[in-house]
Amino acid sequence: MSIDWLSAYLIYALFTVAGTVGLAQLLHLQMGLAGIGNFGIVGFFGLGMYAWGVFQVRIPWPDALGDWGSFFLSLVMAVIVSGLAGLLIGWVIADLEGDGVLVGTLGFATIMYSLALSEKRWTGGAEGMAVPDPLRTFNWGVKPMSLFWLGVMILLVVGITYYVARVHRSPYGRLLIAVGQNEPLARSLGKPTFRTKLILFALGSAGMGLVGAVFGVMNHFIRPTEIGIEVTLAAMVGLVMGGSARVWGAIVGVLLTAGLFDIVVQIYLPLPDSWYQITLPVVREIVFGAMLILVLLWRPLGVLGDMRRDKLVERLGSG
Amino acid sequence: MLDTKGICSGYHGVTVIKSLDLSVGHEVFAVLGANGAGKTTLLATLARLLPLTEGELWFAGEDISRVSPWVSAAKGIGYVPQEKGIFPGLTVLENLFVGAMIGTRSRDERLDEVIALFPDIGARRNQLAGTLSGGESRMVACGRALMQDPKLLLLDEPTAGLSPKYVDNFFDKIREIHQNRGVSIILAEQNATKALEVADRVMVLSLGEASEVMDAADVTTDKLKEGYRI
Repeated sequence: MSIDWLSAYLIYALFTVAGTVGLAQLLHLQMGLAGIGNFGIVGFFGLGMYAWGVFQVRIPWPDALGDWGSFFLSLVMAVIVSGLAGLLIGWVIADLEGDGVLVGTLGFATIMYSLALSEKRWTGGAEGMAVPDPLRTFNWGVKPMSLFWLGVMILLVVGITYYVARVHRSPYGRLLIAVGQNEPLARSLGKPTFRTKLILFALGSAGMGLVGAVFGVMNHFIRPTEIGIEVTLAAMVGLVMGGSARVWGAIVGVLLTAGLFDIVVQIYLPLPDSWYQITLPVVREIVFGAMLILVLLWRPLGVLGDMRRDKLVERLGSG
Repeated sequence: MLDTKGICSGYHGVTVIKSLDLSVGHEVFAVLGANGAGKTTLLATLARLLPLTEGELWFAGEDISRVSPWVSAAKGIGYVPQEKGIFPGLTVLENLFVGAMIGTRSRDERLDEVIALFPDIGARRNQLAGTLSGGESRMVACGRALMQDPKLLLLDEPTAGLSPKYVDNFFDKIREIHQNRGVSIILAEQNATKALEVADRVMVLSLGEASEVMDAADVTTDKLKEGYRI
């Protein structure tokens, strides 16, 4: 089957949109349910990406492991490192109020960016580091390899969404909502809220690290420009736009923002070629910012609105 | 059951509860006092939501002076705050289930008992708790605390701001919870008349300091005035 009709940009744009949905879904658990406003998404995403790259390229894995063995082990290490960072940052912010959480998580993302730039021996500094694609041995060509990783990212996002939907229906989801809505009350009911938030934050960070690692695999090249604030903004604006308390909020919101802009506007609108390098990225951030303001003014709970536990419980029976 | 030895607590360095000694057994114990007397602070301290700055707190023979609120809840202390006692985004049923995350008895058995006690909330089980009236919200909050199977229930002004219909009904329930379920109750209340109807013993709190503990039957207007420092 010919895939000539698929442009390399379209594959990459779909990949980016899918990854953003994955990040927004994980943020939905942290922010939409448990009330932890994680503004350091790109820090965990970047840590996963760089950790995977460093383990893949800098660690002399035994030959017996082969390309795939070292690839999977590096991926596992990236998830573990991101999860441990989440545990550390979560421990710092779990008892803080909203502004403390904002500063703590933003600070972490800034530290990750600085480390990516400064630790040249490991990260390649501003020039970045090339990382081999384990698919190269199949000699498929660039486009089929990109399609493969797009499929992997979509599967990952489907898995995350399935997990999120399960959490919504479970006692654990109720606990997260209880902690997010009234933490002192949840604590007085016998719930170790600090531990609950810590574990949620660590797991969410590990998931963000995994999404970042798959981004690194797809890109074949890891550099600091990949871990700018726009990654956090895209996930956050998408989630708020769709509805941060709804399972489908992240998907609808990211499709309405990154999906609409990165796919529909950039591919299907006849724009001057000179716009693509500098103008469009700037316009993108302006449009996202304006959309966020409009949504917060006229529909603060997002396009899908507030969570409707009564409808969910009705659908599920007594729960 | 619950003993305090010279406990002090407060907010941001301001001591509200001042060296309070208290011993509560299997009874309904009313803490009376005007606005700002320290009733809410006392109950939040007993629920371990506020740290002790001095003194000791013992429950069922164990020192719980330094434990977290979720540990004291697991040991059998249920707490119903005066305000924000529900999770508004969860349904009534889910609010009750959050209370049932500790304890060993079957969740459904506990639910049946709570619904039998508060039939009104049973009829609204799938409704979002944030859409309930004030009286119904208090019932849900109280029901959720009972789902924990507490040995001691701390009720912070459960009828404040409610219509007379709810007030009478709620005080009946308090007595019923104590007599039929064997739960000890510490009731912080401004409505002295109603509190005296259900309480076994009474203490008046004024500016964080306690009067002597009196049997409810022996309370006179003069003794109350002395406690309130009027």
